[in-house]
Amino acid sequence: MTQLKLYFIFILFTVLSSRAQKNVGTLIINIHPVFDGKELVLSENAYVNANGDSIYIDTFKFYFSNLCLSGTKPFCEKESYHLIDAENISTLSFTLKDIPIANYSELSFEIGVDSLKNTKGVLTGDLDPIKGMYWAWNTGYIAAKLEGHSKVCKTLHNAFEFHIGGYLQPYRSLRKNKISVGNLQISSTAVNTLELYADAAEWFKTPEKIDVSKINSIVLPNKQSVMMADNYKDMIKFKK
Amino acid sequence: MKISKGNNFVLGMIIILIFSAFILTKEEKLKFEIPKGWPKPNYDLKTNPLTQEGFELGRELFYDPILSSDSSISCSSCHLSYTSFAHTDHRLSHGINGLIGTRNSPALINLAWNTSFMWDGGVNNLESQPINPITSKIEMNSSLTDVVKKLNASAKYRKLFFTAFKDSVVNTQKLFRAMALFTGNLISCNSKYDSVMRKEKNVQFTSAEAKGYILFKKNCSSCHTEPLFTNGLFENNGLGMDTALKDLGRMRITSLSKDSLKFKVPTLRNIEFSFPYMHDGRFKRLSEVLKHYTTGVQKSKTLSPILDKPIVLTSDERVDLMAFLLTLSDKAFIYNANYAFPKNNNK
Repeated sequence: MTQLKLYFIFILFTVLSSRAQKNVGTLIINIHPVFDGKELVLSENAYVNANGDSIYIDTFKFYFSNLCLSGTKPFCEKESYHLIDAENISTLSFTLKDIPIANYSELSFEIGVDSLKNTKGVLTGDLDPIKGMYWAWNTGYIAAKLEGHSKVCKTLHNAFEFHIGGYLQPYRSLRKNKISVGNLQISSTAVNTLELYADAAEWFKTPEKIDVSKINSIVLPNKQSVMMADNYKDMIKFKK
Repeated sequence: MKISKGNNFVLGMIIILIFSAFILTKEEKLKFEIPKGWPKPNYDLKTNPLTQEGFELGRELFYDPILSSDSSISCSSCHLSYTSFAHTDHRLSHGINGLIGTRNSPALINLAWNTSFMWDGGVNNLESQPINPITSKIEMNSSLTDVVKKLNASAKYRKLFFTAFKDSVVNTQKLFRAMALFTGNLISCNSKYDSVMRKEKNVQFTSAEAKGYILFKKNCSSCHTEPLFTNGLFENNGLGMDTALKDLGRMRITSLSKDSLKFKVPTLRNIEFSFPYMHDGRFKRLSEVLKHYTTGVQKSKTLSPILDKPIVLTSDERVDLMAFLLTLSDKAFIYNANYAFPKNNNK
């Protein structure tokens, strides 16, 4: 019984002391959907892609996950899965909590959902299959979706549709990346924010320039989905 | 901070309460038992512990057409308990508005041991499996949003979800975990074969069954591995592609040509009841299946190497092998009252 008592006192002490010291802060991350740096307006504004075709974007959604900040006190968010949807403003801003007070220079992240979560059955929150970023017939999350239309597409409604997913080799869609975030200071008092671009133009650029008149439907894991994941890998950018 | 004697008393009471609650819940638990000599199940029972309430809720959902868009089709429409949860008489199963699918609904047996689901193994978890029939345009034609909405609007289900999960708000996770508690506990381990293996008193193979068992081990067991009677892998068993369906099987999932025409090896348990046979239900009788393996195998690039040489069986041997296959019938499973249509369906 004495041991148990001591244990409770210890817990209480830890909780109190951590609160008193306030050695952690929060970070609000704001995502700005863009096309080549210009504000992305879904379905209404036309944009010119790398191939020189005029296109409209109708849907732009992706999983932004396993966020880590590197600096003097490295930090990784737990259960870090954020479904970003250009159409739904509430998904474009979220808060990282309990970040150690320090200076950070780099953000590392994944686009997509790691293989572990792809095999865990039915999950909740942003990973709930009800969110529509899930394949039932070939279990797994859709890492990213880009849908739109263009006169050059000789398809029904001139539509193009890219649903990129798959967690098994050789057609794995998960992409890791890291970007410099300047000198990001996390303090316990200030409102810390990080502004990021999600640039849909990257889907069409490099390494493979996409001609939507030829490639306009990718809806299962294959060579083309891998190519597209390589293309959009660098769509997250630091807004200086 | 001071701890008084009063605090000690409260702490003691709390501990006693916690322990007594544990003992009480333990008594109420339905048990999931791994049959003797069987491997560990693949489904993670720790994240979804078996309870009577959860099992009953899953059963209720399994038999309720509420899961389909027009409330006409339930899971049991194509998975009938009396046929080991297969769809007898239909080569290809039919769904909403009489639409016909492209594959034969498989029997639901010992699913907790499955490493994948569907004939092409596209589904990797027991919980995720029912999302397919629910959202398929030719099966139940519904959506997760609609199903969750309908269940949340039902006083009956809000009550049942509260009883099972201590929370009446229905979400996809609770829905599919409840269903997994039912489907994952459809366990067949009481066939004559099982009794013989357990060396139960007064149960022995007849001489035909015993001879059939030897033939089985020689010719069939590399794919239909005991005790589950499947190795859980994908094989091309030489059926030849149906030209109307053009079903490439496993290749649809992996996009790899080496998986062309491969389908999941089904269990042979309750094979007597789960006709028709094969992924497209092309064989109505077990005798046709044996005929296929002895004289009907079609060669192709991805044919299982084991079937490269035809299986040779005399007509007596066919009779013996058939006799053995019938020892896999489990009447206790077929007529298990806990698996059947829930009696108090209208509560």
